[in-house]
Amino acid sequence: MSRYTELTKGIFKCNPLFYLVLGLCPTLAVSTRVDNALGMSLGVLFVLIGSNTLVSLVRRWIPAEVRIPCFIVVTASLVTVVDLLMQGYAPDLYARLGIYVPLIVVNCIILGRVEAFASKKPVLDSLLDAVGMGTGFMLGITAIAICRELLGGGQLVLLGLTIVPAFTKSPALVMVLAPGAFLTLGTIMALSNYRKLRRG
Amino acid sequence: MENLLLIALSAIFVNNFVLFRFLGLCPFFGVSKKTSSALGMGGAVIFVMTCASALTWPIYTYLLVPRGLQFMRTVVFILVIAAFVQLIEMVIRKHARELYEALGIYLPLITTNCAVLGVALLNVEEQYHFLGSVVNGFAGGVGFTLALLLMSGIRERLELAEVPRSFRDLPIAFISAALLAFAFMAFSGLGVW
Amino acid sequence: MKKMLGIALPLIVICVLFGAVLALVHEVTEPRIKEVEAAKINASLSYAFPGGEFAPMDGYYVVTVGGEEVGYAFIAEGKGFESVIRTMVGMKKDGTIERIYVISQRETPGLGTRIAEPEFTAQFTGYRLEELRLRREGGVIDGITGATISSRAMTESIRETGLEVLNESVY
Repeated sequence: MSRYTELTKGIFKCNPLFYLVLGLCPTLAVSTRVDNALGMSLGVLFVLIGSNTLVSLVRRWIPAEVRIPCFIVVTASLVTVVDLLMQGYAPDLYARLGIYVPLIVVNCIILGRVEAFASKKPVLDSLLDAVGMGTGFMLGITAIAICRELLGGGQLVLLGLTIVPAFTKSPALVMVLAPGAFLTLGTIMALSNYRKLRRG
Repeated sequence: MENLLLIALSAIFVNNFVLFRFLGLCPFFGVSKKTSSALGMGGAVIFVMTCASALTWPIYTYLLVPRGLQFMRTVVFILVIAAFVQLIEMVIRKHARELYEALGIYLPLITTNCAVLGVALLNVEEQYHFLGSVVNGFAGGVGFTLALLLMSGIRERLELAEVPRSFRDLPIAFISAALLAFAFMAFSGLGVW
Repeated sequence: MKKMLGIALPLIVICVLFGAVLALVHEVTEPRIKEVEAAKINASLSYAFPGGEFAPMDGYYVVTVGGEEVGYAFIAEGKGFESVIRTMVGMKKDGTIERIYVISQRETPGLGTRIAEPEFTAQFTGYRLEELRLRREGGVIDGITGATISSRAMTESIRETGLEVLNESVY
């Protein structure tokens, strides 16, 4: 696969959320606001790039029997780094994301890519894969968050700036609650299936 | 002293791990197509979540906190869980072959089940004592199994229904999950009085 | 035996290496994290009892203005709908509320999170602890529509902790 494809496959064709259906837990929990979605996806991107690159670097020295514990130590350490940095430098975001920050370690996207890809492929490819997958995740979770925040909150506020001012006094609150999360994801998946069916 | 019943009711119904906290979703959608596999996964999850709570609480309280190492909890918890699951898998494979056939395949998947690490972290966050943590783990697993069983019942029926092509398999499963989540929202007043 | 070591060694190396990295990051970030936490508490104290000076006691603060003891400040914690709601409460000696400030909560966005908004928190000022209940339960606080559990949890925690603090400070 060309380097370019390596990078872009994670964005649409092999989108980790809608196609591989990985990393659902933080997605649905955190996509109530676009702020949260972006913060979470930056954290995931950091850990993804870090773990893919590091594991790929040392892949020849890790015996098969201990590879899972090794991946876990690498990933969990990176997640702890993100956790501590967020506590110190983005405390409001950290307060809103709660336990989903440490739960990044069991985000199936990360362990999935490390196991399936980074442990076998050279460093540059692993890096590109991570960037692509991380970006695909970011786009996916942000799309869901935009839906939920607009429909469920009646406005869109990003980093303190009001992007879409409040346009209704009674938004569909259910969208920021659990059912809304499932509904949004299911609908987006159906739309993506529809596009695929029409194509070929 | 937290009311243990309140913890259990909360974990199973009010703050259901799958339909409210969004934990354990990957197996929730991956294993819920047949009721028999749902039951197997549910049983394994209950067991692992209970033991994970029982193991991680003393490690956190007596090992990490006295040394000011709370920040290590993510690494330590996930390693303990992974090691435990590995151990259990080996034990079951050797000594209970039939059990292994039924449950064993799900066990490695459970390591990455956010519900297991999730409940360990929640026990810390909610500051439960030991018994409260174990009950939370057990009840969380029961709640997960409940949601899983309900989902598998629905999906088995959906297989026979005329679903629009774009919605087949996963999208309609998500819509069904949305309806289940709606239903469980009715529990939100439970146990607060 | 040698084979076992050969397998375990990379794992041990990785553990030690990353353990060191984590210890380092922790060292670097710990002062900053403590700063952030302290700043939050101080800001909430100043808001809850403007102009006051705070002396920490066992579980609450004694507030003095110009050397004279005027009241207390404490953190009330209540289990809300989705999270533990922590509120800094400024209370005069006679048990009436000065001001309150929600330190942390992770309730439902757009619903439960509105308990942190001034429209809700301003209600508490001036009332005695005993009056602090939701209006529908005989008190004076208007709960937020659709966020009864969050509203009630916060109100109850303020009243109950306030009564505790008053009791303790008598001795």
